[in-house]
Parts: sequence; structure tokens; C-alpha cells
Amino acid sequence: MDSLITTSIAALELLFSGDAELWTIIGVSFRVSLSAIAIAAIPALLLGFTLAMVQFPGRWALVAICNALMAVPTVVVGLTLYLVLSRSGPLGEWHLLFTQPAMVVGQVLLCFPVLVCMSHSAFQSVDKRAWETARTLGAPWHKALLTLVNEARFALLAALVAGFGRIISEVGCSMMVGGNILGYSRNIPTAIALETSKGEFAQGVALGMVLLLLALLLNFLLASVRGRGQQV
Amino acid sequence: MALRLEARQLVKRFGARELFRIPEFNLRAGESLYLQGENGVGKTTLMKILAGLDKPCDGSVRLLPARRRWWLSALDQKVIYLHQTPYVFAGSVADNIAYGLRYRGFDQQTIRQRVALGLRWSRLEALAEHDAVTLSGGEKQRMALARAWVLEPQLLLLDEPTANLDVDSVSLVADMVSGMVADGAAVIVSSHQKTALTRLCQRRLHLINGQLREVFSSTRQEQYGH
Repeated sequence: MDSLITTSIAALELLFSGDAELWTIIGVSFRVSLSAIAIAAIPALLLGFTLAMVQFPGRWALVAICNALMAVPTVVVGLTLYLVLSRSGPLGEWHLLFTQPAMVVGQVLLCFPVLVCMSHSAFQSVDKRAWETARTLGAPWHKALLTLVNEARFALLAALVAGFGRIISEVGCSMMVGGNILGYSRNIPTAIALETSKGEFAQGVALGMVLLLLALLLNFLLASVRGRGQQV
Repeated sequence: MALRLEARQLVKRFGARELFRIPEFNLRAGESLYLQGENGVGKTTLMKILAGLDKPCDGSVRLLPARRRWWLSALDQKVIYLHQTPYVFAGSVADNIAYGLRYRGFDQQTIRQRVALGLRWSRLEALAEHDAVTLSGGEKQRMALARAWVLEPQLLLLDEPTANLDVDSVSLVADMVSGMVADGAAVIVSSHQKTALTRLCQRRLHLINGQLREVFSSTRQEQYGH
């Protein structure tokens, strides 16, 4: 118990002392994960919308595949990407392995199915009359789509939070394609894994606190937006 | 040139089941039409096809003069379909009435003026800033009519507009619709029961057994279907 308290105090001291190494790790995590979610969000949302609103052959197979991809372990995605990006792989000439762009690509692959499935559910839950009303009142299809996004904004925001949550805390893919290089590709989860294996718990706990704080902040944000939306 | 709607050889099927087959249907500006039929005969589907929201399996619907511009990917802006239970967008009553005006190229001041007129016309001025989802059924129907009225439609398709409304609301909605007909709009009202609104209509068509029959016309005697 004493050890836990001592470690937590040391972690807090590390956080508030402005430790450069620690804050670089936090910066890498946010830069990579925010880039990934920004890249994945719009295509995933459009695919979710298409799956919810447009009838075409193989639609349910695609939904089933996306659902299955949500459950793929991050290390499997990391391994696949490693094989593709390694020197002998098909994209080896791009020299992306052990770089931040490789981590971004990995995280895009991880959050894309989450965003597709959750936005598909969000659009499915919107009344079909919303689309028809928007269209009959003269909205072009892309404006009608924006109307639907507005109608489903709480569910879509929850999808973004869930997608971000999946990638900011994943270890396997970042470790395999990022290489855990200090000051460049070491992010919060890979740093926690490394520091813990070395028996240096203070930095791991400090980074864990950042993740916990982030989770709380995102969920408070979501709850407050929902709360304001429901005030009538 | 006044609006004319022409439908030819309309067929709608769901799987193997044929819902209706309509060889010919015409509507001119200023006409009001009551489309009657039991639940499930395809009134809503037919109206959505006429509004361009649904596609027939065979046949065509033409609106003359043609205004639809394919590159805008928009439906004809002079045709508006209203659901039995109007959909209410997130926002205030005024926001809802302004919705379609934003896509017509009006400036903000014109939009505000038209919204104010729409609120007065629908007697919803006092509720302008209220959240639209809190309106009663009758108020929602009036708001939906105002949302259409501000866009000056030439063809208005009303799907069971008075279902679930009390007598006063039906009378209010009937007054609003008759005002639009007086302004030159063509109106199609579907209903499975006669109301003050359906009694206003000059023509009465019956969708029955997959066929559309004209059973009454104050202006002409025609029969559609077999």
C-alpha cells in the first residue's frame, strides 16, 4: 500500500515538474492519435451513412466484416502492417516502419471499423423521415447528410470518443510499427509497458493518470453535450 | 407556365406483390385532390413517388415545366411532401420554418422576414423560439405546413395530415391548406377518412385493389385504371 502511495506521489511530482521526457511522450500520443481520428472520421462516417441508408448487394456482409474487424487484436493489426511495411514487404520502399506515420496508419486501421459500425448504428437510429423531409424541402444530398449528422450528433460524438479511446490506449500496433523510440515514436501505452518492465513505476503511473484524466474529460464532455441537448 | 404533373404506366411492386398499377394520372395547378383508400393500399408510396422521394418499378412521373437540375442533385423545389407525422428537426420552431429557405439562395434578412410571415400564418408566433420537439401534434402539423408554405410550393402532397388531430386543429389545418389552394398550389391529400380538409377537395380518387379510380370531380369526369 505504502509503495502504491509513494509511487503515485512520485508520479504526480513528475507530471507537475514539467518533465520533458514525459511530456514528449504525451505529445507523441496525442499527435498520432488525433491525426489518425481526423483522417478516419469523414470516410468512416460516409461509409456508415451509406451502409445505413443505401440498399446494395453485399451491404450486410460489409457490416458483418466491420463488426468483426472491431474485435481484431491490436497486435494482429500491428503484425500485418509490420509485414506490409518491412523492407521485404510490398510497401517496404516507403521506409515507413518505425515512424510516426506508420503509427498513424495503424491507428487509422484500428479506429476505422469502430467509427463505421458506430456511425452506421447512429444513422440507422435516425428517423428516415429526417432524410425525406430535408430532401423534399430542397436540401441537396450533401446538405441533407449534414442535417442527419446534426440529428445524430450525440451518437456520432460517442463514436468519435470510442474510436479515440481505442487508439490512444492501444499498445500492440504502436509497439510493432512505431518501435517505441524515445522522443519520436514512444507514446503513452508503449512507455507504460516499457517502464513497468523495467520496474520504473512512477512514469508509468503518471502516464496512466493522464490516460485516466483524458477518459474522464472525454466522458464529461460527452455527458455535458448530451445534457445540454436534452434540456428543453 | 402553370405546373402540370403527368404520371404514366406507374407500377410499384414489393417483391412478388404488386402494390398498384396506374396507367395514367394528371394534375394541374390549382387543383385539390383527395386520395382515399384503406390502410396499406399504397397511398403513401404513391405520394412519395409523385414527390420524387421514391421510385416506381415501372413508369414515369413528369413535372412540367421541368425545373429539376441533375447537377444540383435536388428534388424539384416546387414539390413538397409532408409526412403523416411531421419530422421535427433539432432546434426552435423558427429554425424549422427557416430550414428549406436556406437552400433557396435567400439572404438572411429575407429568410427572417419569410419565417416571421410563416409564424404568423400558422399562428405559432408565440412559440417561435420554443424547442420544436415540445409542440403538440396539431402545432407540429401547422409548423410543417408553414415550413412548406414559406417555400411557395406549386404542388403539396399531404399524407394523412389530420390523422390524430382534434376537431379544432383539423379546421385550422383545413383553413391553411385552402389558403394555399387559393394561392394557386395544387394539393393532394391522402386520408382513409373524410374530414373538413378532404371536403375542400375538387377531385376524389380512390386507390383500391391496386387501381386508381376517379370517383368524383367537380371539374371533369375521368376514370383512371381499369
